[in-house]
Amino acid sequence: MDDWKPSPVIKPFGARKKRSWYLTWKYKLTNQRALRRFCQTGAVLFLLVTVIVNIKLILDTRRAINEANEDPEPEQDYDEALGRLESPRRRGSSPRRVLDVEVYSSRSKVYVAVDGTTVLEDEAREQGRGIHVIVLNQATGHVMAKRVFDTYSPHEDEAMVLFLNMVAPGRVLICTVKDEGSFHLKDTAKALLRSLGSQAGPALGWRDTWAFVGRKGGPVLGEKHSKSPALSSWGDPVLLKTDVPLSSAEEAECHWADTELNRRRRHFCSKVEGYGSVCSCKDPTPIEFSPDPLPDNKVLNVPVAVIAGNRPNYLYRMLRSLLSAQGVSPQMITVFIDGYYEEPMDVVALFGLRGIQHTPISIKNARVSQHYKASLTATFNLFPEAKFAVVLEEDLDIAVDFFSFLSQSIHLLEEDDSLYCISAWNDQGYEHTAEDPALLYRVETMPGLGWVLRKSLYKEELEPKWPTPEKLWDWDMWMRMPEQRQGRECIIPDVSRSYHFGIVGLNMNGYFHEAYFKKHKFNTVPGVQLRNVDSLKKEAYEVEIHRLLSEAEVLDHSKDPCEDSFLPDTEGHTYVVFIRMEKDDDFTTWTQLAKCLHIWDLDVRGNHQGLWRLFRKKNHFLVVGVPASPYSVKKPPSVTPIFLEPPPKEEGAPGAAEQT
Amino acid sequence: MSRINKNVLLALLTLTSSAFLLFQLYYYKHYLSAKNGTGSSKSKGNRIGFDSTQWRAVKKFITLTSSQNAPVFLIDPWILELISKNLEQVKNASQGSASDCRFLCAPRDFTAFALQYHLWKSEDGWFRIAENMGFQCLKIESKDPRLDGIDSLSGTAIPLHYVCKLATHAIHLVVFHERSGNYLWHGHLRLKGHMDRKFVPFRKLQFGRYPGAFDRPELQQVTIDGLDVLIPKDPGHFLEEVPHSRFIECRYKEARAFLQQYLDDNTVDAMAFRKRAKELLQLAAKTLKELGVPFWLSSGTCLGWYRQCSIIPYSKDVDLGIFIQDYKPDIILAFQNAGLPLKHKFGKVEDSLELSFQGKDDVKLDIFFFYEETDHMWNGGTQAKTGKKFKYLFPKFTLCWTEFVDMKVHVPCETVDYIEANYGKTWKIPVQTWDWKSSPPNVQPNGIWPISEWDEVIQLY
Repeated sequence: MDDWKPSPVIKPFGARKKRSWYLTWKYKLTNQRALRRFCQTGAVLFLLVTVIVNIKLILDTRRAINEANEDPEPEQDYDEALGRLESPRRRGSSPRRVLDVEVYSSRSKVYVAVDGTTVLEDEAREQGRGIHVIVLNQATGHVMAKRVFDTYSPHEDEAMVLFLNMVAPGRVLICTVKDEGSFHLKDTAKALLRSLGSQAGPALGWRDTWAFVGRKGGPVLGEKHSKSPALSSWGDPVLLKTDVPLSSAEEAECHWADTELNRRRRHFCSKVEGYGSVCSCKDPTPIEFSPDPLPDNKVLNVPVAVIAGNRPNYLYRMLRSLLSAQGVSPQMITVFIDGYYEEPMDVVALFGLRGIQHTPISIKNARVSQHYKASLTATFNLFPEAKFAVVLEEDLDIAVDFFSFLSQSIHLLEEDDSLYCISAWNDQGYEHTAEDPALLYRVETMPGLGWVLRKSLYKEELEPKWPTPEKLWDWDMWMRMPEQRQGRECIIPDVSRSYHFGIVGLNMNGYFHEAYFKKHKFNTVPGVQLRNVDSLKKEAYEVEIHRLLSEAEVLDHSKDPCEDSFLPDTEGHTYVVFIRMEKDDDFTTWTQLAKCLHIWDLDVRGNHQGLWRLFRKKNHFLVVGVPASPYSVKKPPSVTPIFLEPPPKEEGAPGAAEQT
Repeated sequence: MSRINKNVLLALLTLTSSAFLLFQLYYYKHYLSAKNGTGSSKSKGNRIGFDSTQWRAVKKFITLTSSQNAPVFLIDPWILELISKNLEQVKNASQGSASDCRFLCAPRDFTAFALQYHLWKSEDGWFRIAENMGFQCLKIESKDPRLDGIDSLSGTAIPLHYVCKLATHAIHLVVFHERSGNYLWHGHLRLKGHMDRKFVPFRKLQFGRYPGAFDRPELQQVTIDGLDVLIPKDPGHFLEEVPHSRFIECRYKEARAFLQQYLDDNTVDAMAFRKRAKELLQLAAKTLKELGVPFWLSSGTCLGWYRQCSIIPYSKDVDLGIFIQDYKPDIILAFQNAGLPLKHKFGKVEDSLELSFQGKDDVKLDIFFFYEETDHMWNGGTQAKTGKKFKYLFPKFTLCWTEFVDMKVHVPCETVDYIEANYGKTWKIPVQTWDWKSSPPNVQPNGIWPISEWDEVIQLY
C-alpha cells in the first residue's frame, strides 16, 4: 500500500472538463511517446495496486468474520437457551384479545379452564371445600393468584375479604364453590361479593353451587348458580362458559418511576396478586429497607440460607422482616425453594435476592430432610470461606436485632467446642415465661427456628451421615439424637429472636399453632446489648449457675406449683423449686409442670443438666430435677422435691410433634 | 483511430480505477480504525499519549468501578508484564506525576480486569450506569458450577464475563467466583445464539477460552499512567499462573449416573476411609505446595475423580503423579516432617522412581514419577521380591486444575486418554481386584534390576 504514488495520475483528472482541450492535449501526447509509455505503466501499476488492496480487504473481512464465528463453540447449553427463548415468543405471536373461560362448580369437583388450559382442577375427596378464587391478569390472561377459602369453617371469610380487597382493580376474578361455601360466609363477605356485582354470591345458601367471573370494580362477565333443593342434597353442578375481553397492557400496569427497584416491582406485580400494598399504584410499600448497619458486625459475612417450600405469602412476610433486620447483608442471603414453584421465585426476585430451586426428592419428612441437606451443602459451596451459616425457614419473623444477637454471640461457637449451635428460638420463651432480652441460656436441646450451624460440624459430621431419602426422618429430630448431638449444647436467648407464624405446614395446623406458638415472646427492641456473653462458655456457665442457685430463694414446696400464688408477688427475684427426677430421662414431673404452666410439653426442651430456667411473674424461676441433676446438692435437706402425677391415659396429644 | 481508442480506454480505466482505489482506501482506513484503533493512531503519527482510546476507556472504567464499589483488579497479562518488569519503579513513582503514558497507551483491543464477585455488594443497575457513561456492554452468564455437585439444584445464573466497549477499546471484565478449596474460578466465555459475534474480536481475549482457576491473590494499589488500580501483589506469580490456569469441572452428571447404577458405598468403613484419604491428600498437597512441586491425581485417585467425583472407598491408597524434572531430594524429608514416614522407595531418579509414604490408619500415599519421551510418558514399577521392573505407558498429557474433595488439584487435561491407558476402555465398570503387575493394559515388562543395585533401588521400611 505504501508504494502507491498518486502524483503521476493527477493529470488525467482534469481531462473530462473540455473536449477540445482534451483532444489537443491527447494529440500532443501521442507525439510524446515517452510520456505516453509512462502514463500507461502508471495506469497499469495503479490497477495492480487496486487489485491488491481489494484482495487484502476481502481477506481481512473474511478473517474477521471467521474469528467471530469460530471462537466460542456452541454446546448443548446453547440449544437449551434457544429452546427457552421460544415459548414466550410463541405466546406473543398471536395476540388474542378475548379469553374463553370455563368455570365448573359442583359437590365433588371444581375446575377452571382459560383458553382450554385447565388452571384449576380439584376433585380430591375431603379436600378443597369452600370458595375457590382465581385472579387473572386482565391484559395477559395469566393466573396471578389461586386461593381456596373454606368458608364452611369460621374466619375463612375474613381471609377472603382481606384477599379480595388486596386485588388490584381491573383484574379478572373467578369464583367457584366446591361442596359447601356458605356456612360461615358472613355479611361483610357477602357485601363484598355484592359490590363485585354478583347476584347469587350474596345470597349463597347451604350446599349451593356457584360459578362467577367478573372484573374487579368492573362489569360481571358471567355467573351461574344452582340452589340446593334440600338440606341433605347439593345444588346441581353448574358450568359457566364466558368470554373475557382482554385490555391493553398499559391499563393493567401502574405508572411507577423507572428505577431498578420499580422494574422488579413491575415484573412481580404483573405476575402475582395478593401481596397487598407492594403493588399499589399510588403508594406502593418499599421493597428495599436499608436498615442501620451494625457497628463491628461479626456476622456480616456469614451466609444466610432461607429454607422454603411453596408458601410464597409466608416467604414474602419472612423476607420483609429479614431484610429489615439491622446488619443484614442481602448478598449473603440465598433462598432455597423445594420444588419448581414459580411464585416463591417471583417473591425472591422482587427483593433482588438469590433463589435456588430444588427438585423434590422423596416424600414428606424425608423430602424436607433432603431439601435441608442440599441447601446446606449448596450454601457452603457458594460461600466456601464461610465458617458458619445461618439457617432460617420461610415461616419465621426475624427480630430487628437478630444479627446483633448473633454478632455478639457467634464467637462462642468458635471458641467453645462443647456447643452444637446458636439458636434464636427459646422453646419455653412464652409471653408469660420470658422476660430478659439480654439473657442467654445453654440448653441440651436443638431448638432450630433460626439458628447458626458451624461448617466443620456440618462437613465433618452431619453431611456424611445425613439420613438418606428412604428414611422418613425429620432432619431436626435426627439432629437432636444423641449420636449426632454428642452431649453438645446450644445457646439460646431468653426472649426469642424469631417468631414462628406459620399455621399451614407439614406438621402444623391452626389449633396447634394457637396452643404452642401464638403466645411466644418475640423481641422487638433494637440493639439489645447481651449480658455477660462469655459466661455462657462451658466452665463459666457452671460457675454462673452455682451462683444463681446460691442466691435463689427456695419456694414453699407445700404449695401447688401450677398456681400463680406459688410465687410471691415480687419482681426481679430469683426463685428455685426442686422437682422429682429420678434419672436423666425421667421427665414425669417436669412434663406435668410444663403442661400447667402452658409452655412446651410435647417433649423435653430447654433443659441443662436437669435444670430449667424461665420467668414467672417477672421473677427468674429455676427448676431443678432431684436427684438426677448435679445441682441437687443445692437442695436444702428439709425440702421434699415436688412430684406431679401424670393424668390417667387421655386421648392423645394433638397431632404429631411439630417440627421446630 | 485504434490508437486514440486505446488511449481513451486507458485513460478511462485509470480514472475509474483511481476513483475506486480512493474509495477503497477510505473504506479500508475506516474499517481498520473501527476495528482496533491502530489505523487512527498510525494516521495521527506519533501522537501516542494520554488521550489514547485505551487510556480513556480504562480511566472511565475505573471511575465507574470506584463509584460502584466494584472490587476489581487488573489482570491484563500484557500490562502486568510491563509492570512486573518495573515493579519498584511503579511502586515508588505512585505519587510522582507520570510524564508519559507507558502502560495504557499501546494500541490494543482489550484491557482485562477481574471482578471479585463475592466481595461485591450491589450488583443492581451498574450495567445501566456503565451504558450511561458511554460503554456498550455485553454480559455473559451461565449456571453456577458450584451447584452442579449437588443433586437437582438449579439456581439463578451467575455472571461470568462482562465486555464493555468504549469507542474502539474494550474492557474485558472477568468475573472471579470463590470456590471450595480457597481459589478463584472464572468461567468459559461462550456466546449465546442471539449475541453479536462481531461485538469485539473475541478471539483475541486472553481469558475465557477455557474456564480457569487461580490462587486467591493478595492485592496492592499502584498508580500507572496517572490511574490508581489494584494489581496482584505478586504480578510475576499471577503471570505464571495464567498459561496453566485451565480448569475442568468434575463430570457430576455422569458421576451421578454411575452412582445410580452401582450405588455408593455409604458404610461406616467407606466413609471413614474417605475421610482419612481426604486428610492425607490435603496434607500431601500442602507439603508439595510448600516445596513448590507440582503434582496431579494419578491412577485410582484420578479414576475416582473422573468416574464418581469422589474417592473410591476400596482403593486403599492415594496416588499422585509428579514429573521427574520436578523431583527434589527434600521431598522425603518434608513428608517425614509432616508425619508421613517413607514406606518404600523403588528405583532411582534416573529410572523408575516411585515413593510410598505411610499415612495414618493404614492409608498409603503413592507417588509415581513420570518420565517424558518424545511421543509418550511413562512411570515405572518394581516388584520387591524379584527385582522385576515394569513400565506403564501413557499418551502425552498436560495438566489442568480441577476441584476434588474441597481442594484445587491438578489432573491430566486429557483425562479419558490417561484413564483408558491405565484401566482400559472398561474403566466405567468397578473392579475390586486389581493386580498392578498384570491388570493395567499399559504395563510392559522392563527387565530386571541388577542385583548389585538392589540395595539402592529397592528400599523397604
